[in-house]
Amino acid sequence: MAAFLLKRFLWMVLTLWIVFTVTFFLMRAVPGGPFDGEKQLSPAIKRNIEKRYHFDDPLAVQYLDNLRRAAMFDFGPSLKLEDYTVNEVIAEGFPISASLGIFAMVFALTLGTTAGIVSAIKRHSAYDVGFMILATVGVAVPNFVLASLAVVVFVFQVHLFPAAGWGTVRQLILPALCLGAPFAGYIARLTRTGMLEVMGLDYIRTAYAKGLSHRRVVLRHALKGAITPVISYLGPATAGILTGSLVLERIFAIPGMGSHFIEAATQRDYPLAMGVTLVYTFLLFFMNTLVDVSYALIDPRIKLG
Amino acid sequence: MSPTIRKLFPYMVVFVVVGAMGWALSFGTLPKADFSFNNGTEPKTIDPAKATGSPEGRIINALFEGLLRDHPLDVPPDASGLTPMEPRPAMAESFTLSEDGRTYTFKIRPTARWSNGEAVTADDFVWSWRRFLHPATACIYAYQLYYLTNAEKYNTSVVEVGDVVEVELPDRPDEFQPFPRGTLLRGELREIIKPPKPEPIKDAKANAKALSKWKETWAYVVAVNQQQRVDEIQDIEPTVRVFCISPPKEPGKLAAPAKIEPCLHVLIDFDTVGVHATDKTTLVVQLNNRTPFFTNLVAFYPLHPVNRRCVEKYGTPNWTKAENLVNNGPFNMQFRRLRDRVRLVKNPEYWNAENVALEVIDALAVPMESTSLNMYLTGQLDWSTTAPSAIMPELSQRDDFVRAPMLTTYFYRVNVNRPPLDNPLVRKALNRAIDKSIICEKVTKGGQIPARSFVPPGLAGFKSGLAGDFNPEEARKLLAEAGYPGGRGLRKIQIVYNTNEGHKMIAEVIAQQWHEHLNVEVELRNLEWGVFLNTLHQVEYDVARSAWIADYPDPNTFLDMFVTDGGNNETGFANPKYDQLIADAASEPDAKKRMEILHDAEELLMDELPIIPIYFYVSVNMVSPRVKNFTANLQDVHPLHLLRIGKSK
Repeated sequence: MAAFLLKRFLWMVLTLWIVFTVTFFLMRAVPGGPFDGEKQLSPAIKRNIEKRYHFDDPLAVQYLDNLRRAAMFDFGPSLKLEDYTVNEVIAEGFPISASLGIFAMVFALTLGTTAGIVSAIKRHSAYDVGFMILATVGVAVPNFVLASLAVVVFVFQVHLFPAAGWGTVRQLILPALCLGAPFAGYIARLTRTGMLEVMGLDYIRTAYAKGLSHRRVVLRHALKGAITPVISYLGPATAGILTGSLVLERIFAIPGMGSHFIEAATQRDYPLAMGVTLVYTFLLFFMNTLVDVSYALIDPRIKLG
Repeated sequence: MSPTIRKLFPYMVVFVVVGAMGWALSFGTLPKADFSFNNGTEPKTIDPAKATGSPEGRIINALFEGLLRDHPLDVPPDASGLTPMEPRPAMAESFTLSEDGRTYTFKIRPTARWSNGEAVTADDFVWSWRRFLHPATACIYAYQLYYLTNAEKYNTSVVEVGDVVEVELPDRPDEFQPFPRGTLLRGELREIIKPPKPEPIKDAKANAKALSKWKETWAYVVAVNQQQRVDEIQDIEPTVRVFCISPPKEPGKLAAPAKIEPCLHVLIDFDTVGVHATDKTTLVVQLNNRTPFFTNLVAFYPLHPVNRRCVEKYGTPNWTKAENLVNNGPFNMQFRRLRDRVRLVKNPEYWNAENVALEVIDALAVPMESTSLNMYLTGQLDWSTTAPSAIMPELSQRDDFVRAPMLTTYFYRVNVNRPPLDNPLVRKALNRAIDKSIICEKVTKGGQIPARSFVPPGLAGFKSGLAGDFNPEEARKLLAEAGYPGGRGLRKIQIVYNTNEGHKMIAEVIAQQWHEHLNVEVELRNLEWGVFLNTLHQVEYDVARSAWIADYPDPNTFLDMFVTDGGNNETGFANPKYDQLIADAASEPDAKKRMEILHDAEELLMDELPIIPIYFYVSVNMVSPRVKNFTANLQDVHPLHLLRIGKSK
């Protein structure tokens, strides 16, 4: 286990370094810089700004300097949110994306697995057809359509939730449901397929033969085997959900991390773009490792190595 | 893997999930503000010197206050719903203007206080303006103070032999914080020793960079006779010393009369810049020329003072954090949540606090227009600064919809160096072939006004110089006159715009009209914002979409853009007659004559057409009926300290 984690850690460091390098050079290869604005700066002032942010150094020097600081988790000041450092931007945005993401994920998991199990057990029944149609709709309908519909129905028709904003639990529910919906649909389909496969296996028949109740067989034995594909899907899904969704953040005016991914890139905020990219990389890696560890915990046949 | 861990695993998962949900719910709820409005976007900064946009302006005007402040006149709105604004005494209780119109003397209000209780003094303004102009602060708006004597020289680090200069030694407490400053040495500049000039490089950007790098290798010979450490000034034995920003690696390469010492800046002595505190409450401002709009500039937020102790103690940007900030406006900042809200609370130290009605204000950063409208309609906002243009016609029927003309112009820049656009007749033909009213009625739909001039209407005393109106027949004649009868022989013209659905639709309409009326082939090209700006700065386009917002309510803010090599010219337009008119207007003492000269300048601009005006913007606000004292005006400025909550109708 320890050897596995150490190996993973080394791989992560290598991956982060590669992502850092690619991001660094890619960003600087794009035309336009962070200090180009509609109003022209005098060359002397522009030079002063460039000096302050060390943009006048040769690219190789900048690269090593940034790498050294990034290794110590210091991404420097944001170039566009001038009153903030990148660390502060992430520290403010990440908890918001994360709490929204946790709710969305819990919702997606509960609804998805339940619907999946019910569909598999009552195969070809009205439940099965209904859930699977819903799941397909959930996966296929884009976020913003779902969000707009939800606003029309739950804000303007039935005055159940506030239109947008952040700060109260009521403000969290609509965006969490909209964020979780496609994941719920996907999880439902995965669970159903997994369950159907497992239910036909010998050990399930053995369990029934032992005289176990239907409920116990399904929840204790079948689910364990059926859940593996869902878990492998959870890794990247959680990383994605935690770092936020640009569209939903805009529709519901949520100050999470998602918008920074796009804005930092379009505004050439090099340090911020680097910061959020590395955070995402780290999360993806971390979640995938967690997934691999939980495989081993759930399925004794799997050895970490 | 031990079986115990395996058994415990499901419980661990449940535990982690419950814990995470508890954490997610732990963020407390906020008490509701008295007044909430959508500020449009997260302010880039709340440092008055560094901000440039209107969302920043709304916050800064609430937190800080300048010598004067824009205030609506106590008259009923005019036919278009506008109430004129005028700069009124704020931090200054009064001011006088000298006979020649070049010296303002401001008397600071004795009751003016910082939020920590300290008095606001004339020195605070001198220091703030010095910081604003200092090249190391690198303020985009620094040119707002170029009307002061020697301010431009100070800001752009230009020094000449014979000037008294200030040399900053590299001994700042924090090398990356320009304030507090290092030791300053003063004295007369005797000589500038310059190494050989680098060969010119073809790429303009690289060339400018090489030149400013070269400038840093100049050695300045200064007869130093004064030294300043922090605020302690002492005269010293006059000595000739040599300073250089980046001294040569091998000594002896430059023939200097003394050892070359490193320094951070060699600037013209700030004492020669036209701002002085003659005592604690008197601020004297010396201008290069009569500047009729100077009071407007003084009321504009970049010139608001900042607290020196606060800035020097915490440094940039930490002094702007809510817990550190010291300000002098009607409101204090309780907290700021990134991309969520800035919460403002009434400042008890404000000199006019008794007349500030609102106690708690939320300035939300909601970027999406439809979300903002939803929040307004459900009562989460009292004031929305935008509205979605798609449903503007429906919204405009409502009583709480406030629309007014604005000092902002949407226009197309034309590259006057590229054939066939170098021919004014072609540019005129292009202008006369655009039916601008179609664009306003069918595309923008927000009540925008078709433009025939560059300066928007509504400025008192100014008559616009007009470009030709929409007339396809005349347009064809002009094109034929230019040598392209029926569009024959004319190459394809490209319109570039930054990626945006609205800009695209307008460009499509114009392309279609040019094709229909002039038989000109048009190609559209959308560019991502950064790339677009780059293209614009390097003047590498045929026709480019642009817009300009007035910095102050005077035609000059629009017209002085197009002087030869002006920083925001970006069309290649160069006309000595035009430059002369702008210069004449600047030095003309008579207000009426000055407006006439500016009119002539605009007439010339509209005859040459390096730009094609398309339409004038209107400001759109949705304001809850319970909000009182909200007045529409040309600059779309709505001072928060004047607003009141009344009973709704």
